[in-house]
Formats: sequence, C-alpha cells, structure tokens
Amino acid sequence: MRFLLCVCAALIALPALAAPDAQYLAELSERARELQLAARPEWLKLVHYVPNLGGRGVHGLVDSPGWYNAPEGKTDPQAELEATLASFYSEVAETSERQNPQCLFIARRHWLDAELHFDARRTPQRDCPRYQEWHGALNAARLTLVFASAYLNNPSSMYGHTLLRIDARDQDERTRLLAYTLNFAADTDERNGIIFAVKGLLGGYAGTFSILPYYLKVREYSDMENRDLWEYELALKPEELERVLEHAWELLSAYFQYFFFDENCSYHLLGLLQVARPDLELTAPFRWWALPSDTVRAVARVPGLVARTVYRPANATIIRARLKNLTPEERSIAKNLSRGDTSSRGDAAVLETSYDYVNYRRATGRHDVADPARLARDLLVARSRLDAPSQAPAIDPGPSPDQGHGSARASLGAGRRGGQGFQELELRPSYHDVLDADAGYVRGAQIQFFDTAMRHYDDGATRLERFLPADILSLAPRDDFFQSRSWRLSGGWRRSFLADGTERLVPGLDGGMGAAWGGQRGIVYAFGEAGARMHHELEHGYDLGVGGRVGALFDPAPRWRVHVHASGLDYFAGERDSPRSVAIEQRLALGRDSALRFELGRNREADRRFTSGSLSLQLYF
Amino acid sequence: MRKLLGVVAIAAVFPLSAMAAGENNIGNCGWGSKLFDGQSGIAPQVLAVTTNGTFGNQTFGITSGTSGCTQDGAVRSNWRTALFIDGNKDKLARDMSVGSGEALDSLAHLLGVQQSDRAAFNRATKDNLSQIFASDNAATPEIMAALRQVLSADAQLARYTTAL
Repeated sequence: MRFLLCVCAALIALPALAAPDAQYLAELSERARELQLAARPEWLKLVHYVPNLGGRGVHGLVDSPGWYNAPEGKTDPQAELEATLASFYSEVAETSERQNPQCLFIARRHWLDAELHFDARRTPQRDCPRYQEWHGALNAARLTLVFASAYLNNPSSMYGHTLLRIDARDQDERTRLLAYTLNFAADTDERNGIIFAVKGLLGGYAGTFSILPYYLKVREYSDMENRDLWEYELALKPEELERVLEHAWELLSAYFQYFFFDENCSYHLLGLLQVARPDLELTAPFRWWALPSDTVRAVARVPGLVARTVYRPANATIIRARLKNLTPEERSIAKNLSRGDTSSRGDAAVLETSYDYVNYRRATGRHDVADPARLARDLLVARSRLDAPSQAPAIDPGPSPDQGHGSARASLGAGRRGGQGFQELELRPSYHDVLDADAGYVRGAQIQFFDTAMRHYDDGATRLERFLPADILSLAPRDDFFQSRSWRLSGGWRRSFLADGTERLVPGLDGGMGAAWGGQRGIVYAFGEAGARMHHELEHGYDLGVGGRVGALFDPAPRWRVHVHASGLDYFAGERDSPRSVAIEQRLALGRDSALRFELGRNREADRRFTSGSLSLQLYF
Repeated sequence: MRKLLGVVAIAAVFPLSAMAAGENNIGNCGWGSKLFDGQSGIAPQVLAVTTNGTFGNQTFGITSGTSGCTQDGAVRSNWRTALFIDGNKDKLARDMSVGSGEALDSLAHLLGVQQSDRAAFNRATKDNLSQIFASDNAATPEIMAALRQVLSADAQLARYTTAL
C-alpha cells in the first residue's frame, strides 16, 4: 500500500504521466466486458439500477445528473461502467466544493479495482482527504438499524420511520447518543403534513441522505414526538461495514425523487445496506411498496444479520411507567407540582415524574403554566438536593416490531345477511386494524389503506362490497395526565340501501372526534361524527349527516379480542335517512399470521332492518 | 415562495422562540432551538412535517460540504462538546439532577473523564446543578463556563476542564 501511495505521489508530480492512458483504459473496458461486470449484482446495486417495468432493460433510481458519468448512464449500466473507469483519470483536484471521481465514487472504484486489478503504474491513485476525515470522525465499529414507531397524528409518518446509526468504536450503550445517523428524507421545508403527503405521493420532492448526531434524532422522536425507538444492531463483517460507509459517502452527494410509498426512507436504507454483501437482496420485494415495519421484518429475517435488539422508550412511555409506580396521593402531588403549585412537597420519584410531565407538555405544545422552562428548572434543582438514585422505572417493551403480523391481509369468509347466504373475499394491502393482534404495532392505532371486499350471494349476484382507500382510527386513552384526543376518518365506496329501495355502491367520507378511556385491559370510546355521501340515485344527489359512535374493545383471553360498537347518523340535508348499526366483532389469533374473525351486526338503512353475520379466516403476509 | 410562506408561518407560530434561536447558538454553530420547540394544539401537530422532512439541514449546512461547525456532516472535533451541550440541555440538566444518565455519561466521555472519576463527576454536577444551569434559558457558552468553574473547584476533576 505504501508503495502504491509513492507511485501515486510520483504520478501527481508528473502530470504528463497522469494523462489518460487510452490504451490501458481500452484494456480495462475490454476486460470488464469479458467479465460482464456491468451485469453483476454488485454493479447494479452500487448505481441503484432496477428492472424496467414489464420490459427489458434497467434504469437507475438516482436522479441527480452528477451520479452518472455516461450521458446514457441512467439506462445503460455498461456505458456507465466504462465512463466510470474513464473518469478515474480525471485531473480534478479535491476542494471543499468538488471531488475527484475516484473519491466521489469511492465504492465503485474499490469494487472495480478488486475485479480488474488496476495496474498502479498506469492508473492514477488519488487520495481522498475529505473522505478520510469523515471516515475518521465516524470511527465506525457497527451499524444499527433504528425503527421509530408509528406517529398516528401525522399523516406523513404514520407508518413509522427507519434510519441507520453508525456506532463508533469508542462508544458503548451508555454513550450511544454520540453516534451519527444516516437518514434518508425528502428535502423540504414544508411544514404542512397534508401538502407533504400529497407531494410525497407524487414524487414532488428530492430525497437525500444526510448525517446527523443521534442525539438530535432521539430528541426529535423520543422527546418531541413521543415515539418509542427500536435499535437493531447489525452483525456485519468489517469489510461489509466499509462497503456500506463508502457507498453512503457516494450517496451523500446524490438525490432521488422522493416517493412516499415506494422510494421512501426505508427503501433507500435497504438499498444502502444491501451493498454490504453481494448476496443480500433486500429491496426487491419492496419495489412498489415499502413500509418501514415491513423492511425491518425483512432485515430481521436474514439469518444472523441482527445481533441484538435494544428498546428506547419515549418520554410519554416513561411517564406512564412512572405513574404506575406512584400511589394515588403521590400522583396528585406530581400533578400539582407540574402545574407550578409550590406548596406541594414530593420525594424523588414524584419530582422526577412531574419534571418529565412538564417537559412532555412543553414538547407537545400545551402551554398551560405561565413559565414552563422556569418551573422545569425549579423541579430539577429541588430534585438535585435529594440524595436518592434515579427512580427511572424498568419498562417491559413487549414484542419488537419485527415480531408483528404481516402488514397485508387476505380474508376468506362466509355468512348470511337477511336470510341470504354469501361468500366474501377481502384484501387489505396495509396495515393494521384495532382487532388485529397488537404485538409489534402501536395499540389503538388503526391504519387501513385500499381495503377491498368482493361478495358473492347465493342468488348469483357477485359484486364489490366495499372499497376504502383510507380508513383510520386513533384511540388514545386519556386520563388525568394525558388529555389525548381520539379520532376517526374513513373514505371510500360502501354498499348501502337507498330510499328508492336499491342497494348501491355509494362513495362517501365520514369521520369523528372524541375521546377514549382505558388501558391494557380494554378501551371504551365515544365520538361525535359527521358524514357526507354523493350518488346520482340519492335524492338531490347527495346527503349530509351528523351523529355519533360508541364502542368498547377488550381481550377476554390472550388470543381473543372483542370489539362492540354502535353508531348512527342523521342525514339532514340531501336525501333524508337515519341509518343505525350495532355490531360485535371478535378475533381469535391462530398464530402470528393467521386469525379467525366472527362478526355479527344489526343494521337499519333506508327503513330496512336486517341482521348479518359472518365467519372468516384471515391470513397476514 | 413555498419556503417563504413556510418561514412566515413558522415565525407566526413561534415569534419568541425564533428570536431566541440566535441567542442560543454558539458563534456560528448551534442546532437552533426553534426546531425543537413544541407546537400548540392538535391542528399543527396533525399538519406538522417532522419525520420525513430534513427541515433545517440547509440552515445548518449539514447534508454535505462544509460549514463552520461541520465537515461533510461530521461535527468538527473542536465543536463536539459545545454542540452536544447545545443539543441536550434538557437531558443534561435532568441527568445531573439525579446524578446519572446517558446524556451525562456522554458528556463525561467527551470531556475524557476516566471511569474512576465518574462518580465524583456525577456528584459534582448534581451538587452544583443550580450553578451550572444558572437560569432556565442559560446559553451554551454560559453553561460551559459554569461547568468549567465547578470542575476546576474540585481537585479530582480540575484536569478535565481542558476539553471545555
């Protein structure tokens, strides 16, 4: 190696010799063609080529022009490989603004060198001081995949988020905050989550990788957004780690068009990770749909890839655990202290709880005391004067996200409605409903997209029963410390009886706001609701209603969950009707990825009353 | 235009914190407190982009390239302690108040405090919390100066002030 560096220094000193050696370059290209390097998985992964949809050929996912050395590089791996070889003869010197291609494409360079064995006398060898400095600052020993659990109150992060943490050699579990993270995100200052979600769906943003200290990410997720973090430490060999770092360096200068559902944070993290090993194929199943929790499951499924899993509870999770250890009296003292009541006196556990709770309210924007920063400091100073060790509670996190059910579900069932038998096939591409087993998911958070059911009746009719692009229910139990709000929103097409006696597939949107109470044993909830529908068979073509909904969820036994609910709307504008419904739904888990569901309901629609019941087998994948 | 609207909206939501952001920075560096201040009410929470946006990266120049405090995303070594304190004031104060915690351990690591001196370090910061965080809006340089004072007053810990 020292010899190579000497040669390299000599070459730089003599520019005449560093000029492109056209003959040698042609030899290298010829050898690369013979070896068919451009078709190797290593090359395809390094440049991020994916197969074209339904045709021959590939295209590159990276959208920054500087990523490709050949004009046709985005679609021609061979041309790109040869142009990359040629670029290594570039005379460009490194500055803080630009790099020599040998450094800009350092992972490509090392792979091509390993395959083609560059002749050091005929190829310039560039030093890469910026890369070396960066590499030294990271001081990487290991990589950890971090999963931030779902954040339902934000449409752009309801599926969770993943990032890659670079654990340094001189760190341990106690100093993990000092690690760096590699994060892929849409490059935007957009603060409106709905605009973000829509533009994100359409690829309206550029996505880039960035490097940030882990402490900023922990602050964002654990302290500000109250999302639990799961850290999956990866067992990579040193040379595999080096490949990921070199490729991460290449990606820091590139951008991808950001797509919310497929080319998102999780997809591109897998794309980065799979350069570690030639045989690691992580992204292929997620080309069109990459949910963070599914990608975590894919990584956890690779034998031996995950060394261990660490749980990092969010601030709200810690407060709930602290409250469980307090007596009712201590609880009320903690509450009073957190409201600035200076006459209260608390012990260490009470002071710590009230401080965490003041911080929780600051972070979530509830400005209900005059000077929360001052109050927080007063509580800490009072705590520092007590001679007691930390009262932080031990928390049992339950099953990790990779142990949850598959996020797609297919159901096959049979039932009767109003004396007529039917069979039903349901497909729900994503992701979780309140009856599904909670393991690995956020309890009380239902997110379903594109739920579709086909029904065949015994009289011969086969039809679409429902098609719901979105069906979201957030049940966040409230108590004296957490004044959470619960809500529901559902939009799509449902079969309904209309006043003219027909049953139609009617598009509509309905939702509600309310509250939920309860805990681990069960949840009850009540919502005020509103709904609107449009259909040409409706009188005036639409209707508009208000109403309400109440329900309860509880688990009589570990595998068994019951959901009873009743709802009604009064359509006061457009076609007048007052539909009512009561139902009991039950789920019996057979295994992680299979369950039986039993539903029984009584409905009134357009003055028709009918009872329906069904039994179905549900499979998750 | 979109960015401008965003800035106007943010300024309207947190007029005070936006002003405070400049004061909390250390020279040209700092993570900026406005990024981390909470937002009021459920509507901003529902509407906020927090996770998948890299809001602030342009502001601090940490995607790639160079700024005063970072080089290609990595914090320059002479800024590591200051930026860590700047980004972890609440956690540090909390850990010091109980005499343990990962933020405190991380700070001790940055200052080079040896394992045999950790108990003394934790004890000194706990006993002097009200001095180290002299007010509820203590700026990072003030916190560092106070910490330096506390450590230098302790014979066992005085040698660790060089990193501050």
